[in-house]
Amino acid sequence: MSLAQTTAAVEAVAPEDEKRRSGFGRFARIGLGLVLPVVLAAGWELAVRLGLSNGRLVPPPSVIFATFLELWQAGELQRHILVTTGRVAAGFAIGVIAGTAVGAAAGYSALIRRLIDPTMQALRAIPSIAWVPIFILWFGIFEASKITLIAVGVFFPVYLGVMGAIMSVDRKLVEVGRAFRLSPTAMVRRILLPAVLPHYVIAIRSGLGLGWMFVVAAELLGAAEGLGFLLVDGQQLGKPAQIVAAIVAFALIGKVTDWVIAASAAPFLRWEDRFSRGREEG
Amino acid sequence: MLMLDRVAKTYPNGVRALGGITFEVRPGEFLALVGGSGCGKSTLLRAISGLDTPSAGTVRLDGQPVTQPHEKIGIIFQEPRLLPWLTVADNVGFGLEQLPRGERRERVAEALARVGLSDKAKVWPRELSGGQAQRAAIARALVTRPEVLLLDEPFSALDAFTRIDLQDHLLDLWGDLRPTVILVTHDVDEAIVLADRVMVMRPRPGRIFQEIAVDLPRPRERQSSGFDAVKRRIMSALDRSLTRDKPAAAAAAAQPGSAGLWW
Repeated sequence: MSLAQTTAAVEAVAPEDEKRRSGFGRFARIGLGLVLPVVLAAGWELAVRLGLSNGRLVPPPSVIFATFLELWQAGELQRHILVTTGRVAAGFAIGVIAGTAVGAAAGYSALIRRLIDPTMQALRAIPSIAWVPIFILWFGIFEASKITLIAVGVFFPVYLGVMGAIMSVDRKLVEVGRAFRLSPTAMVRRILLPAVLPHYVIAIRSGLGLGWMFVVAAELLGAAEGLGFLLVDGQQLGKPAQIVAAIVAFALIGKVTDWVIAASAAPFLRWEDRFSRGREEG
Repeated sequence: MLMLDRVAKTYPNGVRALGGITFEVRPGEFLALVGGSGCGKSTLLRAISGLDTPSAGTVRLDGQPVTQPHEKIGIIFQEPRLLPWLTVADNVGFGLEQLPRGERRERVAEALARVGLSDKAKVWPRELSGGQAQRAAIARALVTRPEVLLLDEPFSALDAFTRIDLQDHLLDLWGDLRPTVILVTHDVDEAIVLADRVMVMRPRPGRIFQEIAVDLPRPRERQSSGFDAVKRRIMSALDRSLTRDKPAAAAAAAQPGSAGLWW
């Protein structure tokens, strides 16, 4: 076969190959990630069924599922999820509003940034749990101290994200706004906000992640209801399946709330030139 | 009429970028500013646009001093600077927000047609090639019908074919709308193809070194003896504009013996 023929043959095959890879390859990638957890879960289930372990401290998947269902049917799980989600929502709202306002001021004005940023960075370095005793002294042991703790957790990533995003706005695009004689408010609305939005979405998503982390810290240290209470309750009464069920619930609602933010921002970010686009469209 | 009166710019660190520049540009005239790098041509253009304020002297448009961006002055930068979150059509209509929707759409469609981008109205800027993006930027600047159009090395980032295509495009637009144009470029051919008058600038501090009228008939042939004659004049002016740097080199050359024994 001559070189030309070989090249032609390779070119003829290439598109087919490409198609197969994009269709099958996608499932293969997802499937590959599921292999390890599924094998581990199935293996453990089998080990307990065969009597190799009693599964008391590490309950098998079937027991966890049964506990989850039981809690759900009793209405317990919904109640705890509702309480925890309510706390996160309140803390998240306060943290996002404060983080956005302070971050925007620090990003917009160098003077404000020099004034407050060193303090913010110092406060940010404090481990979350360290706040709990003082917040309990200040705000009592009920909702206020918990919501404050969550708000603190949400505040810092939002503050940092907003400040960084505003500082990194392309000066060349700001100059376009100046050349078209935009007023300060029009500059914010037509140039700064759209330029900042992608970073902002990432900032509030990481803020939400920390919000879920901090709600656990708050609820572990004294709560009568909430998913964190389920964790403590499971530990004190020796019900590991209940602990794992609560963890699963955390994972699920954490993922769902993150997805809600990402999905509601997506229509405004269609213009973004990102490598992930190729995957979505391919 | 655009008039510059002793426009000077000294930066806070003491660097004198512009040292008192005075000239006038007739309405509808096409002027090119050429010069070596660092001669202040972009600084001058930014002072005319009102994006920067000169430290001395005034820029006047129709007798009115220009101290900040002016509605009758449009500017096109070296990069397209399209806003990535707006479609091409919305980018072109960026300066028309005060117009009613229908009229804006009409003006945008007309401007896009003029630069040959009608089929790209709905796409995002990232989907345009470099030449298409710069054409969209030209449409954005022209759609507000400025009296003066400033161009800061607008085609320097494009390949040679695209550049020639865009130069022709710009000439057509200028012929139709007749704005006053000031083009900053370091491409002498570009200056000759486009401009009525070429100003050669010299550096440290930036000032006008020589003014050369390009009285070639339009459309101009890039390969013609007239073109070459003008090019030689501009090149020699550019050469002489940099003579201030020469004495040191000349001194070194005058002592071949010592130069040979530098080690």
